[in-house]
Amino acid sequence: MMGAVTSEKLTRVFTILFVLVFFAYLFGPLIVMGMSAFNTSSFPRISPWDCFTVEWFEVLTNDTDLMTGLRNSITIAIGVVILAIPLGLAGALMLTQVSSRLRPWYYTIVISPILIPGVVLGISTLVFWDRMGRMFNASYESFFYDGIFLTIVGQSTFVAAYAMLIFISRLQRFDAVQEEAALDLGATHVQTFRRILLPFLKPAIGSACVLGFLASFENYNTTIFTIVSKSTLTTVLASKVRYGINPSISALAVIIIALTLIGAVYFEIIKRREERYERDIDKLVKAGSTDRAKKASLLTNPAMLIATVVFIAGLGTVYFAGTIGVDECKAAIAEQKAIETLRKVDEFKKKQMFKKAAPGLETGTGADTPTTTEPETEAKGTEGYQSIFAPTNLEGQVDSDKKE
Amino acid sequence: MKQYWNRFFLKNGIGISVYLLIAMLVWLGMLIMLPQFFMFDFSFRFNLPPADLGGPKDVYTLSHYKYMAFGSEQATDSYNVVDVWVFVRTILTAMFVTLFDLALCYPIAYYLAHVAIGGWARLMVIALIVPYWVNELLRAFAFKIMLGTTGIINNFLIWLGVIDTPIEFILENYALYAGLGYAFILLMIFPIYNAIESLDRNQIEAARDLGSPWWRIHKRIVIPYAKPGITSGCTMVFMLTAGALAAPQILGGPSSLWFTQIIYQWFNQGNNWQRGSAYAVFLLFSTIVIVLITMKVFKVKLGEVSR
Amino acid sequence: MSADVQLDNVWIRFGDFVAARDINIHIQEGEFFSFLGSSGCGKTTILRAVSGFSEPSEGRVFIGGKDMAGIGPNKRPTALIFQNLALFPLMKVWENITFSLEVAGVGKAGRKKKADELLELIALSGQGDKLPSELSGGQKQRVAIARALCAEPDVLLLDEPLSALDLKLRQHMRTELRAIQQRVGITFIYITHDQGEALTMSDNVAVMSQGKIEQVADGNTVYDAPETSFVASFVGENNLFEGKVTEISEGYAIVDTPSGSLRARNAKHNGEYQLAVGDDAFVFIRPESLKFVNGATHDNQIGARVKGHEFEGSFWQVFFDVKGARRTVKLSMVNDGGDVGHDDGTDVKLGFSADKAVATPVGELADET
Repeated sequence: MMGAVTSEKLTRVFTILFVLVFFAYLFGPLIVMGMSAFNTSSFPRISPWDCFTVEWFEVLTNDTDLMTGLRNSITIAIGVVILAIPLGLAGALMLTQVSSRLRPWYYTIVISPILIPGVVLGISTLVFWDRMGRMFNASYESFFYDGIFLTIVGQSTFVAAYAMLIFISRLQRFDAVQEEAALDLGATHVQTFRRILLPFLKPAIGSACVLGFLASFENYNTTIFTIVSKSTLTTVLASKVRYGINPSISALAVIIIALTLIGAVYFEIIKRREERYERDIDKLVKAGSTDRAKKASLLTNPAMLIATVVFIAGLGTVYFAGTIGVDECKAAIAEQKAIETLRKVDEFKKKQMFKKAAPGLETGTGADTPTTTEPETEAKGTEGYQSIFAPTNLEGQVDSDKKE
Repeated sequence: MKQYWNRFFLKNGIGISVYLLIAMLVWLGMLIMLPQFFMFDFSFRFNLPPADLGGPKDVYTLSHYKYMAFGSEQATDSYNVVDVWVFVRTILTAMFVTLFDLALCYPIAYYLAHVAIGGWARLMVIALIVPYWVNELLRAFAFKIMLGTTGIINNFLIWLGVIDTPIEFILENYALYAGLGYAFILLMIFPIYNAIESLDRNQIEAARDLGSPWWRIHKRIVIPYAKPGITSGCTMVFMLTAGALAAPQILGGPSSLWFTQIIYQWFNQGNNWQRGSAYAVFLLFSTIVIVLITMKVFKVKLGEVSR
Repeated sequence: MSADVQLDNVWIRFGDFVAARDINIHIQEGEFFSFLGSSGCGKTTILRAVSGFSEPSEGRVFIGGKDMAGIGPNKRPTALIFQNLALFPLMKVWENITFSLEVAGVGKAGRKKKADELLELIALSGQGDKLPSELSGGQKQRVAIARALCAEPDVLLLDEPLSALDLKLRQHMRTELRAIQQRVGITFIYITHDQGEALTMSDNVAVMSQGKIEQVADGNTVYDAPETSFVASFVGENNLFEGKVTEISEGYAIVDTPSGSLRARNAKHNGEYQLAVGDDAFVFIRPESLKFVNGATHDNQIGARVKGHEFEGSFWQVFFDVKGARRTVKLSMVNDGGDVGHDDGTDVKLGFSADKAVATPVGELADET
């Protein structure tokens, strides 16, 4: 029996270790990247740590390529939502109407954009509209060849599928008899759609819009083909990561994470409020009361206020910490580095003198060789290896945007 | 047939019917099916300058597929060593990554579904989702920071004294593998989690009661039950990894190449859309075929693999 | 405004399955008419054909004399109260009630006014701003009725509206519905599987089985003079004897059964007597019409052995084994303070009058389907 007990304990320990290692793998890179956004070192890293700063966020906002890409990303995302949501809704509605024999085929076709590699979606969209453009003899300025249009169309193909899944799930809980009741009372089909179905779908439409916006915003595989001569945030990001890396990219990551976390916290608070409201209603109905349940105001909600205060305070603290004393800190570090360099040069000189004086003597450790400041951009190191395939040259992204 | 149309319009009213039909035409036809057909067709055409398109030279050809397999006529090798090798590497790596993710995520999914308790489990779910709010490019970038020659991993190992000089994670493609393994974890965990979660805990208890060791419980009870979820997760991870572009672009060393990168080159630099289409078509078909074969081998039906 | 409803030779088929066969019915203006039958008998199908949600495969539906073929449910002068009520969960009570006005384009002020009127009618004044989820079952019922009435239909259709309510509420609603119908004066078509509801509320009842209408008559007639074996066995309780007809005279038939020669009324159908000499027949006699023979003369007498008895408050129920009878025979007697008067296991004689008994052709029986 003793053996079984310890083996169980062993499994427990092993399991917990495994879980911890797993989450370290999951979060580690992100934490490192997040922290590197606040390090003054011009190459993103966290060790050695120089000074705490928020200057990279400013660099971010001054980056015109990135800003152009951001603007395009937002425009495209809005366009995708406008196009894909109605398509997805129609897809979901049709599913209930298609005969049961056809349904598996229909479902497969409609779901396929999610399974097909994004690369293939991008290429097929590009090729299709290019041919269509030729058929109509359209000029190169027309929408057939416009990166924004093509990207909206290409992304909508799979975003509509995601939207459809959301709608299908929501529709399953819809009491279709309501539609019959509305018709019976004299409503036309359009009125029924507008007054009965759409209000019910409102939460699903909301989630689909959010999901669609985010999916479009962060898409890369399809966009890189359909964007042609323009750029989005992701394509600019990709080229920047290949070329000049500085922590402004980490800063971008921090902003994204922060925004999502804040959004998630607010979302959770609102959801809790809804649940409490529903519970209050149930209590009142059971008691047979004619009173109405009150929905607590959002503005006076204590959790909401605390969260907002925490966020603002947090932002303020970070900002101040990052701007106060940065220059002094940088000066101190530069001084330190200068001293270190001088010391090393000194040592090297001494070694040379030793060698001249006593050529046979081996002194010093290997670490004496003077090193200048560590490589600023590691990209240069790897780019030294030029193979015949000139891997993934994304320079087109950064330059052509400047032409706009 | 006509009766079907009549009933359709009667059931939905004119306005809604028109909306449904147009939307389906646009989405199914113009967005999903036609582009695929055009791309497929394109892959069989010559790369002609715009002036010659539609003219007499615009005929069907297998030249791109031939090139993919055999290389250009000037080359000395009997087949297209580079492209074929890249393709094989891509597929093999994708399989390896899929298996790695499976091995990693299965225990976590099981833990989440059956071992973790209430609030702790919910926290874990959130913790799993949070990293995926970050853009895949930034996630790959994070790995680049961590695994660079002056990155924290190297510094840590040097500090520990395990190694003297930094390991070239990126050059040696380890970074790419780590990054790819990381990229789609979420898509492996949740299908398996959903499948395992619906398993009646009593079955496991009963098996343990009857003296079955833990590995047999998994082999004979949990895994067969969770097979649809496992297949679903593996399919998605495999297809997404084989078709990945961001991670290879960012984390790939210069000697590595991903098949999708070759496709991109044909479009971007080689200016040969037709050839690129051929490669893309080939990628699509081969991944689908591999998935179907695997499903046949492991006896899983198509209908069970649903999100 | 009220209208009559007529179904001519209506057949409703779904593929190979016949849901309703050869329905011919005329429902008068202002009548409270019920379709009675167990699930699957076709009553819901007929209701949906009248309301416009399905078209008959054959035959025609007339409302107020007008042929309803091709006219959708939103254009017919009918209003349907669904079994699960189907109140709109995202709209307030007053919005639910006045929905028919809203789709007709009536302005908000006018609708609010009408809503207040109807809320008063259903005794829910002041609760118009609630959502359906905030109401109890009975309250939701009343809102559904108000919503239907607001549409001012010529015919109100009710699909087993009380089946989800508890007993006390059901009984209360029965009276209420009847009262509302009489006050408003429009035609009510009511479908149910509950005999009590059908018999107490309706002017006329159509008893249905397997898509066919077995009999249409008022409650009394359906109870006292069933025309088919199904109606006789479905409505209320009935004792059953079977045999062959040996004699026919003046509206009576004499049926020779293993339990004895029994004289009963010859059942009519469509105005004609159904049984002829030599036919196989069922003889039905209700438990309350059976009497212990205590010296008095009865048209019919049978020998029986007391099997058991049950006390039901206002009634004694006594059970017998009768030679030749397929099932246990049951007798109901009023509890007048004493006991049954005959012990279990004793042999007795039971008698009943021919006027209380009905003889029908052999056919479908309610509890065997």
